[in-house]
Amino acid sequence: MSDIYTASIRIAAPPDEVFPYFTDPELLVRWMGDWASLQAKPGGAFDVNITGVPVRGEYLRVDPPHALVFTWGVAGNDLLPPGSSTVEISLHPDGDDTVLELLHRGLPADEVPKHRTGWDHYLPRLVAAAGGDHPGPDPWVQDQ
Amino acid sequence: MSGGSAEPAPSTDDVLRALAEPQRRRILQVVADGELPAGLIAKHFDITPQAVSQHLRVLKDAGVLRERRDGTRRLYAIRPEALESVRSFLDELWPASLTRLKETVERDRGKQP
Repeated sequence: MSDIYTASIRIAAPPDEVFPYFTDPELLVRWMGDWASLQAKPGGAFDVNITGVPVRGEYLRVDPPHALVFTWGVAGNDLLPPGSSTVEISLHPDGDDTVLELLHRGLPADEVPKHRTGWDHYLPRLVAAAGGDHPGPDPWVQDQ
Repeated sequence: MSGGSAEPAPSTDDVLRALAEPQRRRILQVVADGELPAGLIAKHFDITPQAVSQHLRVLKDAGVLRERRDGTRRLYAIRPEALESVRSFLDELWPASLTRLKETVERDRGKQP
């Protein structure tokens, strides 16, 4: 099976309003994770804790408001160490909206189902947050 | 969800022909979780985007996939009724083969000393 995850979503906001949801820690944690430390420049840290999982990475490309690439791994996880997988985000204006495409590549096959579940959970929250609605607290955090 | 009712019911022959190709079956696995545009489907394959488009057209013509326009996007998703036609066909085969299995086992048992 494939070792990549892909998704295409529509968000009711232009790309320049959506882009900061991947670069501003306060905006990021409104849809994914409970703590984030982000330095949105090539080589800068992309660190976010998601339901207790320390996701660690670095930005490889920051090209507002069109494209964004960062690495993705989990501190202490030998199967998916920091730097071992890559998330590519592209944002295209479409009418008044943004069509966002996400490509997560380099995932070990065993990690694909878990990440599919994760993105399928968090991307609708991004649609709500960046589209001007409040996604509310992450139910996965309450489940902890 | 749109689609479905306006389109003719897929023929089992067309569906089976469309599925008789490994990459087309893999495309179905890729879109099984949700609709995707052709460009992202192609990222799952080493073949050219043109070859992926060709496979998508065959799957669409056979009624296995539906195409939905959303602004500038064209999204592809599985038409469950196509898979249902294949499932019904396979289901019909089960009783006959199970009867044969039963007869074979009973005959073989009868031969034992």
